[in-house]
Amino acid sequence: MLNLRVSHDYLELMARAADLSTAHCKRRIRLAILADFATQHLVQLLRVLGAEHGVDLDIYEADYDSIDLEVHDGDSGLYRAQPEFIAIMVASEKLKAKFYNSQERAGFVAAMVDRYRGLWEAVALQCNATIIQSTYVIPSERAFGNFELKQPESMGSVFAAINQGLVEAARNSKSVQLCDLDHLAAEIGRRQWFDAGRWAMSKTLCALDYLPLVAQAMLDVVMASSGFFVKCVALDLDNTLWGGIIGDDGVGGIVLGGYDEGESFVSFQRFIADLKRRGIILAVVSKNEESNALLPFREHPEMVLKESDISVFIANWENKADNLRTIQRILNIGYDSIVFIDDNPFERNIVRQYLPGVIVPELSDDPTEYLGILARLNLFETASYSAADSKRGEQYRDEAQRELTKSRYTDVGEYLQSLTMQLSLEHFKPANLARIAQLIQRSNQFNLVTNRYNEAQCGALATDSTYLPFTITLRDKFGDYGLISVIVLRLDTDALVIEEYLMSCRVLKRTVEQFAMNRIFEKAAQLGLNTVIGHYVPTAKNEMVRQFYAGFGFTEHEADEGGKVTWSMPVSEYIPQKSYITLIADEL
Amino acid sequence: MNHDEVVATLTTVFRQRLNSPDLVLSPELTAADVPGWDSLAHINLILAVEKAFSIRIATRDVRGMKNVGDFISLIEKKLA
Repeated sequence: MLNLRVSHDYLELMARAADLSTAHCKRRIRLAILADFATQHLVQLLRVLGAEHGVDLDIYEADYDSIDLEVHDGDSGLYRAQPEFIAIMVASEKLKAKFYNSQERAGFVAAMVDRYRGLWEAVALQCNATIIQSTYVIPSERAFGNFELKQPESMGSVFAAINQGLVEAARNSKSVQLCDLDHLAAEIGRRQWFDAGRWAMSKTLCALDYLPLVAQAMLDVVMASSGFFVKCVALDLDNTLWGGIIGDDGVGGIVLGGYDEGESFVSFQRFIADLKRRGIILAVVSKNEESNALLPFREHPEMVLKESDISVFIANWENKADNLRTIQRILNIGYDSIVFIDDNPFERNIVRQYLPGVIVPELSDDPTEYLGILARLNLFETASYSAADSKRGEQYRDEAQRELTKSRYTDVGEYLQSLTMQLSLEHFKPANLARIAQLIQRSNQFNLVTNRYNEAQCGALATDSTYLPFTITLRDKFGDYGLISVIVLRLDTDALVIEEYLMSCRVLKRTVEQFAMNRIFEKAAQLGLNTVIGHYVPTAKNEMVRQFYAGFGFTEHEADEGGKVTWSMPVSEYIPQKSYITLIADEL
Repeated sequence: MNHDEVVATLTTVFRQRLNSPDLVLSPELTAADVPGWDSLAHINLILAVEKAFSIRIATRDVRGMKNVGDFISLIEKKLA
């Protein structure tokens, strides 16, 4: 989980590295670091920061400046370490030396970008690790002054072009994530960032005081790619989204828009609206009469956020921790994926006390600083984006309405029937791969095996004739749930093996699982196979599906040493389950 | 800051950074005499000394430092 209270003081972190305990960590992640600068300090910092966030990092540290050797040797220590992530971290000082030594400046950019693309491809041939590629920090010195960028062969232009080349190549690669050191250095200020004395003495990437930020940035990428990221922002209203108290001041009296603080509230709302567009669910938790709380959304001309942007709107006089519990229940996400933003220290502390998992940034009492505070915390890391993300908010709004409809029916079957659910089974296909990989990263609870296939691996499954990988999409009369389940079947000699099965918790208790299992057994029968086999691998979060196969009458077999449990069931003994779903497309 | 104060502050820094609460500094003490005083710890020591005394230690200063006595005289020179 994200830990906002972690210190980024270099000496304090290094002191803690000596007797670091990772006993409390629920997750172990193997990370390899390849760099052309000295990484001993960075490795220590990563271990300490990882433990602070509940991740036990098992780090393979390659020898100094051995990036190409490790990557191009199939038998290197790198590949023997079987890393899940390979960080390629690069220092501008090394690139400067290459640049100044190059005979052919015109071709330098293309040659460097090709080198990295070659490294990435070589890694992909050997293993499925996700690559974390750093950008280059653009140096301070400029031989041309302000003319530097007008001259394409100047060092400043070349560095910027190489960064841009890396960005474009990474956009086209499914397994490469970026760690933007140039952004980090610009945030700190280039003059502070680089310490030429320390580079000369010990080949450290930057001033030691900022090395914890490098480690944190790498960890942020690792965590987002491993499924730890913010899914919902729960917002207070008065003095958070606008200045003043709507119940006292009225729509005409609150501070919003124009200049001064009013402008800051608009900027803040714009950023929140952009988060919503990128797939973060917005909720409101306000101590207000609901009719008052809604007034600015409906009537204030400067409101950026609209009522329709908010998936769950709670305005009452209850304790905010209780209201956040309601939001958590409706959205069915972990507390550790909710950020709570409130200007009131009392409310922040109540939430911290009762719901310690919830991420509660410390705000300033000056609203012009809100946006900067959120920016510094870098709370909204992600490892993927697809167009469907922008619709997520609507899906959860539909869900809140379904919750209300449900209360009108006394019989669940009758209620499910009334939803007129329609389901499609689709084979993995290129157009869906990004969305599939994303669901694979996001799903923690209803996930039987937790194989985190990335986009490239999903693509490989799609064309492998021994596999039947498919997705489920669902809609009902209230709206479209989109892609909600991923199932990977493998054809064995006499069995159909469920290699992975995961589902979005939004659609629990809709009989989707029953429908899918019926279809799996039908398919096994059509193929003339006698058995269906499933697996369960326990993680910190998937307790809810421990007995998933038992519910269908599968027989449990002894777990292997990794805790993986195998379940099996003869096709002839399966009893089809009741479901309330109509199949409208079937590519299984 | 007089000599004794410099030694006292430096002792605190060394004890903290080398994770050695009973360490006693003498001018002749070198890295070889103290377990854990490796090149990694050395860089951290330099940073900690810079912060504790609000001084800047240059690369050329580091090259000349052979023992704790050199550390002390460098600090006293920078503070003078």
